[in-house]
Amino acid sequence: MRRIPAQAWVGLALLGGLGVLSLLAGRVFPEVLAGTCPLGNDPTHPDRTVCELAFGGLWISLAIGLSAGALSTGIGLVVAAVARLAGGTLERWVMRLADAFFALPDVLVVMVLQLAGQSLLDAGSGAGLGPFGLMVVSLALVGWAGPARMFRNRLDTLEGQEFVAASRALGGSGAHVLRVHLWPALRPFVLAVFLSRLPAAILAESTVSFFGIARMEPMSLGRYLGTSYAALIYEGGSRVVIPAWLLLVLLVLGASLASQALATRTRQA
Amino acid sequence: MRQLLVRVGRQLVLVPIVALASYFLMASLPLTVEEDNKRQVSPELAASYRRDLGIGEPLGFLRPWQKLFRGERLGTSAQGVTGDELLLKLSGSVGVGLVALALALVWAMGFALLKNRWRRGRLSVLGDAVPAMAFGTPVFIPALLLAPTVVERGHMLPELTAALVISVWPGVFLGTLLGDALETELARDYVRTAASKGLSRGVVLRRHVLPNVLPALLDAIGPVATALLAGSFAAERVFGLPYFGQLYVLAVLQKQVAVVVVATTVFASVLVTVGLVVEIVRLIVDPRARESRT
Repeated sequence: MRRIPAQAWVGLALLGGLGVLSLLAGRVFPEVLAGTCPLGNDPTHPDRTVCELAFGGLWISLAIGLSAGALSTGIGLVVAAVARLAGGTLERWVMRLADAFFALPDVLVVMVLQLAGQSLLDAGSGAGLGPFGLMVVSLALVGWAGPARMFRNRLDTLEGQEFVAASRALGGSGAHVLRVHLWPALRPFVLAVFLSRLPAAILAESTVSFFGIARMEPMSLGRYLGTSYAALIYEGGSRVVIPAWLLLVLLVLGASLASQALATRTRQA
Repeated sequence: MRQLLVRVGRQLVLVPIVALASYFLMASLPLTVEEDNKRQVSPELAASYRRDLGIGEPLGFLRPWQKLFRGERLGTSAQGVTGDELLLKLSGSVGVGLVALALALVWAMGFALLKNRWRRGRLSVLGDAVPAMAFGTPVFIPALLLAPTVVERGHMLPELTAALVISVWPGVFLGTLLGDALETELARDYVRTAASKGLSRGVVLRRHVLPNVLPALLDAIGPVATALLAGSFAAERVFGLPYFGQLYVLAVLQKQVAVVVVATTVFASVLVTVGLVVEIVRLIVDPRARESRT
């Protein structure tokens, strides 16, 4: 097994560290933050400290990013695998559909899906989805096209290799080749694509929540920043925004570093 | 030429698909329920939604477009806009986006040259850290930090600041691509030959390297231009600019379904137009693109 690049370890450690920190500070021992936060209380939420809101938001943003990233990567993988197995006209049409989805801007489509989903929730027909589930599904519906295109291209490259041709020549079916030969070679790439979806999902959710369209409670980092911006503008309180911003940057930085390093390694392999 | 027309056709198909998808999504919304919930629309309002969308009428799905072309107000409240107002707001957003695109290209060129210079030094880590920082910062955060100082002043300053704010990450993204392409190109034999004949580094870069690198930049400009237009939504909201992004967000928040349908389709048309313009520019500036299509 090839060595995992140091850059990927740094990114994964950063992600893991933030996850543990948000769990401990935001969920397990929130009273510690409530009593010791040096930044004081939030002007728009006087009963909560800035640290409580920032770390609580970090936990939600991370959970949304992981769930939406995993779901969109899974959908993309299934679409790419089905398209490659079917081949021919079906594959061309599926990939064109993926390209059409890819051309649409994430934030705009997520806003429309949130509007539709919230109306369904209000009418009591949300299929058991709460605001959190609705956001995850919206982000996954928007985000599957990129991974599908990447997985399809990667499968295409792998299928051109000699060991796959040998397996086919020995009578291996499409599903057998996919399961036994292609999947093990694809796995590190799947992880890299998943990690690349994580920041995209977190940023899209932050932007939509910032507009006040999502109704998540407890608040994600984006929603927290969205509800605090009046305080920032009218009271000059950058202390409210900067901690949440730094946490968001670190979260995306960790995922980007790991994703880029793993993607480069799989390209070189 | 035929391949270009096929690509144009494929992109144009996206517009009616988006129009129908957004219409039927809005038309299928359960906008009323019996419970007394403050988030629900009243029966009167729901009836006006149905009128706006032409639900239950023959060819009712054409209603938003009929209202658009007749110059009637789309939407159910005072915030409903006419087609002319929509286009005016769109032109404002496109203007901010175009200024941002120009700024992004300046950032891209600067960052690519710096990244190339940092490549072998102690600053090489900045080549990775700057993009990560830029990609990890949603547009609304620098906008929030700058808003208190620019919103009150007016005189186009909010527009220019919005363009500046939304240009940063696309600029760094394009700069990363350009930097990688520059690195590959600078290692080629023709660069060494030109330098050995006494040409300065700047002249080699301007006359020989950049013309070979620019097509790679054009490939990425289409998606970036799209992101700039969509990214301006957040900046418009923070800086209070009364353009398309602000209109769209308010239409979604207020469930102005007819406005959402028309605005989504208009926006998809803009994206298709941007894609086509980039494709044509690529054909003009890159002889290899012309040859591959003939």
